[in-house]
Amino acid sequence: MATIASASALNPREIDNTDDIPGRRAQLITGNQTYSSVTEMVCRVAEDPQPMLWYVLFGFSSITAVMFLSLIGYLILTGVGIWGNMNPVFWAWPIVNFVFWVGIGHAGTLISAILFLFRQNWRTSINRAAEAMTIFAVICAAIYPGIHVGRAWLAFWLIPYPSLNLWMWPQFRSPLLWDVFAVGTYASTSLVFWYMGMIPDLATYRDRSKTPVKRMIYGLLCLGWTGSSRHWLRYEKAYTLLAALAAPLVLSVHTVVSFDFAVSQVAGWHTTIFPPYFVAGAIFSGFAMVVTLLVPVRKIYKLENLITLRHLDNMNKIILATGSLVGLAYGTEFFIAWYSKNPYEGFTFMNRAFGPYWWAYWIMVSCNVISPQLFWFKKFRTTPWIMVIISIFVNIGMWFERFVITVTSLSRDYLPSSWGYFRPTIFDGLMFFGSFGVFMSLFLLFCRYLPTIAMSEVKGVMSSSEHAEHLQAELLGGGHSHGHGHH
Amino acid sequence: MSLKYDKETIELPSNWKQYAPLLICAGLICLVVGAGLSFMGGRSDGGASPMKYLVHSYLANFMFLFTFSLGALFFVLIQFLTRAGWSSSIRRIAEIIMAILPWSAVLFLPLVVLLYTPEGSALYEWNAPAEEIHNSIIRDKTGYLEKGFFTVRTFLYFGLLTGMALWYFSKSRQQDETGDVELSLARQKWAGPLIMIFSLTVTFAIFDWVMSIDADWYSTIFAVYVFAASMMAFFAMMVVINMTLQKAGKLKDLVTVEHYHDMGKFMFGFVMFWSYIAFSQLVLIWYANIPEETNWFRMRLEGGWAYYSYSLIFLHFAIPFLGLMSRHVRRNRTALYFWACWLLVVHWMDMTFLIMPNVPGGFSVIPMLGHLLGGAGMLFVFAALFIVRSSGVPLVAMRDPRLPEALTYTNPLL
Amino acid sequence: MSDHKPKKTIGNRPPRAFGWMAEYSNEHKLLEAARKVRDSGYTDTDAFTPFPVHGIDEALGIKPTKLPFIVLCCGLTGLSLALLMQWWMNGVDYMYIISGKPMGITPASIPVAFEMTILFSAFSTFLGMIALNQLPKFSNPVFTNPRFDRATDDKFFLYVSAKDKYYNRDSVRELLGGTQHDSLDEVIEDSTPDALPRPIWLTALLVVLAGLIPAMIILNMRNGFSTAPRFHVFFDMDFQPKKKAQQTTTIFADGRTMRPQVEGTVARGQLDEQDSFYLGYDPNKLSALENTDGVRLVATQADPKPQDTAKDGGTKVIPAANTPAAPAAALNLPWLTTLPIEANDENMKLGETKFQTYCSACHGYSGYGDGLVHKRAEALGQGFWIPPTSMHIDRVASQPVGQIFHTITKGQGKMPGYAASMNAKERWAVVLYVKALQRSRNASDKDIPEDKKPSIEDLTQPKTEAKK
Repeated sequence: MATIASASALNPREIDNTDDIPGRRAQLITGNQTYSSVTEMVCRVAEDPQPMLWYVLFGFSSITAVMFLSLIGYLILTGVGIWGNMNPVFWAWPIVNFVFWVGIGHAGTLISAILFLFRQNWRTSINRAAEAMTIFAVICAAIYPGIHVGRAWLAFWLIPYPSLNLWMWPQFRSPLLWDVFAVGTYASTSLVFWYMGMIPDLATYRDRSKTPVKRMIYGLLCLGWTGSSRHWLRYEKAYTLLAALAAPLVLSVHTVVSFDFAVSQVAGWHTTIFPPYFVAGAIFSGFAMVVTLLVPVRKIYKLENLITLRHLDNMNKIILATGSLVGLAYGTEFFIAWYSKNPYEGFTFMNRAFGPYWWAYWIMVSCNVISPQLFWFKKFRTTPWIMVIISIFVNIGMWFERFVITVTSLSRDYLPSSWGYFRPTIFDGLMFFGSFGVFMSLFLLFCRYLPTIAMSEVKGVMSSSEHAEHLQAELLGGGHSHGHGHH
Repeated sequence: MSLKYDKETIELPSNWKQYAPLLICAGLICLVVGAGLSFMGGRSDGGASPMKYLVHSYLANFMFLFTFSLGALFFVLIQFLTRAGWSSSIRRIAEIIMAILPWSAVLFLPLVVLLYTPEGSALYEWNAPAEEIHNSIIRDKTGYLEKGFFTVRTFLYFGLLTGMALWYFSKSRQQDETGDVELSLARQKWAGPLIMIFSLTVTFAIFDWVMSIDADWYSTIFAVYVFAASMMAFFAMMVVINMTLQKAGKLKDLVTVEHYHDMGKFMFGFVMFWSYIAFSQLVLIWYANIPEETNWFRMRLEGGWAYYSYSLIFLHFAIPFLGLMSRHVRRNRTALYFWACWLLVVHWMDMTFLIMPNVPGGFSVIPMLGHLLGGAGMLFVFAALFIVRSSGVPLVAMRDPRLPEALTYTNPLL
Repeated sequence: MSDHKPKKTIGNRPPRAFGWMAEYSNEHKLLEAARKVRDSGYTDTDAFTPFPVHGIDEALGIKPTKLPFIVLCCGLTGLSLALLMQWWMNGVDYMYIISGKPMGITPASIPVAFEMTILFSAFSTFLGMIALNQLPKFSNPVFTNPRFDRATDDKFFLYVSAKDKYYNRDSVRELLGGTQHDSLDEVIEDSTPDALPRPIWLTALLVVLAGLIPAMIILNMRNGFSTAPRFHVFFDMDFQPKKKAQQTTTIFADGRTMRPQVEGTVARGQLDEQDSFYLGYDPNKLSALENTDGVRLVATQADPKPQDTAKDGGTKVIPAANTPAAPAAALNLPWLTTLPIEANDENMKLGETKFQTYCSACHGYSGYGDGLVHKRAEALGQGFWIPPTSMHIDRVASQPVGQIFHTITKGQGKMPGYAASMNAKERWAVVLYVKALQRSRNASDKDIPEDKKPSIEDLTQPKTEAKK
């Protein structure tokens, strides 16, 4: 099949395959790849010596992570008073950071599960890295409520176990406990999904290992995978089932997170659109983070033929769509606050936009609603450095969204006598920054030791799209040329 | 390079056309008799003004019909937005359902006219004379909920939705003649912006038409709820129409088991999505327990409505959820047809649930029978409109460039 | 393309052969060969591919998996467990009242029920897949072929097992040889030793042993006894910057942490409505008396001693008389004749405890004045010893409760007042107990309630009979 694509003059691997003439699908991966060239490209990431940049980034991020862990130790020894949380804003940065990271952690499983159910084959080049990112983001997220409980070493009391010391059970009507179940299920299911997806690729790593130690470690990790057709059959069934299970799970996690706020009676928190609006926001920020990470990854590891402009273009379109959905939700909330004639709702929203936190509100609106609108233009959707900037803006905006929701509503609630203005401490800032160190360290280790792209899935898609082209050509009575088909 | 096909297979069965007037008549008779029953029952019941039964019933049944087209319009837009290929052979049916939208506007007209009659507040309490509105919140809202402005907005909503629908329909019909790929590209290009306009329009239209019948109540998720219900109903209607046409010997080899499988998945998915949205709305209002919000649910759990409302949990969620879970069911024509019909019925029940409990006096059997008859009437009207709209229109966009993809794809997994 | 000859031996026998394996360069050739093999009647076959090749299950005749059914069952288990757990934990075993929400299953139970359903389903999917595939399996004869490394890269392998009932070494080779293969090898038994290398064993052993250490420590601590102070990993709130009752402090001049009550104040809950509660008589009636009896009684109160600033509150200072008062029976005083506290089990127990603590040393456990102190004094033959009064003599038995209270409060003769040791309520409880003691000495069987009689009769039976 003729490729509808043109190579960029600067980088021969940068081929524009974003458009396809209706009736002819552009190739998902460029450069006339074969099965073995896909293996080669992906395995090289881990097999070749890492570039200097990797060491620089890893050094920086691991130092940041160590700082974060030390601060957690300091927090545990001293108490949560080192943060700026103070009457009336008792839920401040820790919950903002928690929701921020959990939101980011939505893209991976969404790509693996929902896009899989919608037969979006382009997901195969990006799902592995996105799932890894999901797990690392959920780890970062889970830290915050864990250390916010005050006596962090008793956080396991959240789990319903027959305790001889307590003689009591958790309170199941609390949305915070739902969070424990939702985030716990999400983290473990995502981990299983990610690991299961990696088994065949770990077998590839095993079979390409040069040293016996590596061979043994990858051999253990891949459970002795052979690629037997019987195994593949059950594996694919299991993958499909996990996708079908993970799809509603992804939705449920941020829904439950939104319940933390929305079941209350606090004006600005209690609104019924919160569940779908939070989910849209989570997908939005998650995809932004995937773009932020994958653009450098494909550049550094020369994966432009696998993670093509089409993948980036599609992700940017999803960012645009979810960004607009979030904008619609902001609008709906504002409209209903006015329409309802509820004085508290009305006040809260005016206070958000024009009160003491006006700056946070307008940062949120401009980053979340306005900046993704640039993705209406193809130029912005297909220029890597521009999309990185926009996606970083999106994540800044999404952090501020959670800040606006949490802090503005709490700082001025029903009791004007206890209104206040929240001020973070240096520890709030350092601990938020530090969580990026944990996240980046884990992601860099992932790139170095584990298969960053789902090779077996990419190959499967290569095979099935070739098959589909063949069938369509037969239907049209032949006369269709084959690009990379090899019969 | 085009497909060879039997021209007859994509035409409406020739004898169907003569049914259209019959269906219209049957529909009108049902509506009138139903209205009579509602009216009489309402009067004998003594509680509410009989007019209230009548107009609420009409609005619920109108929504029943309208949501099919609403779902169809969104479906067509999203197919172009995502450059979908699988749906090319069933998209025309959706386009025909979508093209019924202008007639839906005509069907809504009586409710607009009603605002200007002495019974103007029978449906929308905010339309009562200011001195008769005792609820200060509703009085405060009369700046926005005002019959003139409401009329203007209604025309705007219908204008936008109809405009989109007709533009897409005309482009699709043009492609039947020319086979021009550019026509696909143009629709693809506009799908994004139009979906944004669509979502804004639907949000505000649902707030105005349905939510404002309970003028002091509000729920930000409400439009999403109706949207979810529409999509589910639309896919159920698609399955029913496609199967009926195939039973009449049409669409041979053009709509395959794979399409039914996918539509079954969408039905299943939107059953879940509806439940998710309905649950979100319920749990947040139940938990916060703020009187002005819980009132809406209180009305649905009192006056004989409780069993009806609770039954939706099973009929609209649990039973079809279990029923549609299996791949074998979704690939089995009879089973899928059964579930599609089931969902159409529960969709009517859902629209009734949203609107009818607002009639004071609680659940009463005779007006409800009238309302049910009205629902059947709307279904007849819908069938008639479908036939009228599709006569002379091929049932498959045979020159859609992505048709080969639709005819060859398979669902290997799930 | 070579017929693989086993070179190594296992023990002193040649390695066994498991079947034939052919290699193909793409999935189409593999599918073609697979169909051919199946058409020839072989069923114990398998294909090894770098990605799932669609259509191979039909080509090889692989049956669909029962995994979805397992997952459904596990999912329903998770759902039921979650509902049961929430119903029992919050609805039965430990009921919280949370903003008036009903107990048991409510809309608030749905999120956890949903998550548990997914959790159980997801894990059963993964573990079910692993189990059905009989993984992990690290040793596999297919790995003996060095070309097999590319089965996870870009090559496709078809395998016919020697266990197939129609297997014939030569005819299978011929059949596979007739396909478009890249190579054809016999799958032989793995000749490497079965045992794990020694360093791995050692490491594993060390890891297991090291892993046992914390468990042993915990077990030891859980079951052993120690007088050493608790080892604090986390301080929780064990060490707080505060003072406890008997500790010293430098903050106050007297060095005591415990502070005396500020003069002229009454602590919350310490003031009874009736003054008679603290006195044993009605002070208003007393002041209305014209005879000198009242004056004499009051005179004994006019000399409070510092140690008797009682717990009962500063305004109610009731000093103990250190000069013997006139015989109380002679005075015509307005003593309380009814107890100001309830005569219930709780007060009776309190009275018994206090009596046995403060009174029984002299008065004896039964109130006959035969306490240990008295017995000791008699044993020593101390002539100046005045025996404690028996509570069962008529003079004492006829006293109103108020007078007994007054005696306990202020003392009598050599007996000191106990206002400093017991608060008013406790003293009244002692009065109650004393009254019960007195009554018990003169009780008849009419005083025993009907329903209690059988149990008392039991007590009087000889033990041997009771044993029957």
